[in-house]
Amino acid sequence: MGSISEAPDVTVGVLALQGAFSEHLQLLRQAEQVLAVTTPVPRRKWVFLEVRTEAELALCDALVIPGGESTAISLVAERSNMLDPLRDFVKQARKPTWGTCAGLILLAESANRTKKGGQELIGGLDVRVNRNHFGRQTESFQANLDLDFLKKSDGGSNAPFRAIFIRAPVVERLLPHMPGVQEGEAETEETVIAPSRSTDQSFISTIQGAEVEVMAILPGRTATLSKEAKEKLDSEAGDIVAVRQANVFGTSFHPELTGDPRIHTWWLEQVVDAVEKRRALA
Amino acid sequence: MINDLPAVMASELPATNGNSASNNNGESNFTVKTGLARMLKGGVIMDVVNAEQARIAEEAGAVAVMALERVPADIRANGGVARMSDPKMIRDIMATVTIPVMAKARIGHFVECQILEAIGVDYIDESEVLTPADHAHHVEKHSFSVPFVCGCRNLGEALRRISEGAAMIRTKGEAGTGDVVEAVRHMRTVNADIARARNMDDAELRVYAKDLQAPYELLKETAKLGRLPVVNFAAGGVATPADAALMMQLGCDGVFVGSGIFKSGDAAKRAKAIVQAVTHFKDPKILAAVSEDLGEAMVGINCMSMEPEQKMQGRGW
Repeated sequence: MGSISEAPDVTVGVLALQGAFSEHLQLLRQAEQVLAVTTPVPRRKWVFLEVRTEAELALCDALVIPGGESTAISLVAERSNMLDPLRDFVKQARKPTWGTCAGLILLAESANRTKKGGQELIGGLDVRVNRNHFGRQTESFQANLDLDFLKKSDGGSNAPFRAIFIRAPVVERLLPHMPGVQEGEAETEETVIAPSRSTDQSFISTIQGAEVEVMAILPGRTATLSKEAKEKLDSEAGDIVAVRQANVFGTSFHPELTGDPRIHTWWLEQVVDAVEKRRALA
Repeated sequence: MINDLPAVMASELPATNGNSASNNNGESNFTVKTGLARMLKGGVIMDVVNAEQARIAEEAGAVAVMALERVPADIRANGGVARMSDPKMIRDIMATVTIPVMAKARIGHFVECQILEAIGVDYIDESEVLTPADHAHHVEKHSFSVPFVCGCRNLGEALRRISEGAAMIRTKGEAGTGDVVEAVRHMRTVNADIARARNMDDAELRVYAKDLQAPYELLKETAKLGRLPVVNFAAGGVATPADAALMMQLGCDGVFVGSGIFKSGDAAKRAKAIVQAVTHFKDPKILAAVSEDLGEAMVGINCMSMEPEQKMQGRGW
């Protein structure tokens, strides 16, 4: 108590409306153990909790939106009065948020191939995602990814990350950051967009990365696309499967199914960084 | 009240679990098969007989739909041989919704499974609701690229199915009755079987494996985990939000609802209510709110008054 070697608690929520939330909680606990060894001082108390209500979300410094069915999560969120609190959390407060698969779809400002009548998005990443990009379940697969962002915290092991793609989306277009909604996207057929929220200016100085940063590319899978779809792709190198923008991180694959805590560990380090900057300002 | 949850609540499913059941068939595709089941957790899978019902299910927040020609209540009423559905009907549903589409094949009918795989369904249910096609053999499921879900009444049956390649299990219950008693019986039986295994040493587990007619390695893994080694949904008789939450509190990972939705008065409203109940299964206030004013539940059949030969759960072994 009061010792200089103890850092303040950090509370990380995992949205538990539907999907693979328990897997994320397990990997976060694994990552906590890794951090306890690699950065033993200051000792930090992590709190990981399932989030189903606005009151639970209010306790969180950071949030994971897990894989699941994005339509189901979105509809349950709406009926549980969680959509606006989530938009405020991600886009106004810009607290660290990470979405995997369905979570990435919900965090996109624009999505296509949604159900008839569209679906509600939270937004936060200026990208357009293509749902079920690779096809149905029989097209689900695993692949090795080289993730440069892991190399610093990985002790230079450089081992590829075994990524699991299940009816996965990809980022098919990076969008320019603009005030308000993505107007160009609103006019694109069969594409849905997220409502806008302006960022809380009191913490703006602590947030880096106004534009979207591509964090991972899946090489060689663009062969599955039609010629027209290929021409629309911004990147020639492959499909964009991880992106980051101003505290919001998204992956189209499932690190929570691997038993490999490297991405969770890296993300918790980003969370600590963001939370400390914010607390220093408050 | 929440503190009085039964002691049978399952512990969590480890993130990488299930690989021991794989046949190491090239790429470890069992991870991908069980992965989709994990994505369905905390959700409701609804039986639908046409594209219109599939849309209602999708709008209600279903995580997947089960495409079949007749819901179990009608199969029960009509009698005759119940088979795989017309591929055209399944394709229509696949073209209409963006959520995963499952379809049923008869127990042991591996050609129906080949056809369903060729259509591209996301999961196959080798189901006792249809008339079995083989008196002794279940389908060898490992060689398919499409994953399978199978029913069980107890731990031995569940582990036999996993050993054959099922990537997901559902407790059978008694389909088409709207009576949850058999779903509860099967879930409690699985939980009790696992609780027994947990207290056994290796020598006892070998004997228990013989009694259960289940592979020793899978039994040992189950005993260590304190739960089934793959995702387990409840099925067969869930008709209300309270039924769904009951099965979740007993430790299921999610719920199948068959006749319970489209044989009720207001299908869309009941479907939404059951979805909310599965997410908020530990919150009686929310359960009370979503249970209000749902209209007529399906009429149902009291399982206690049924003759053994009228029950579907005894099909499969």
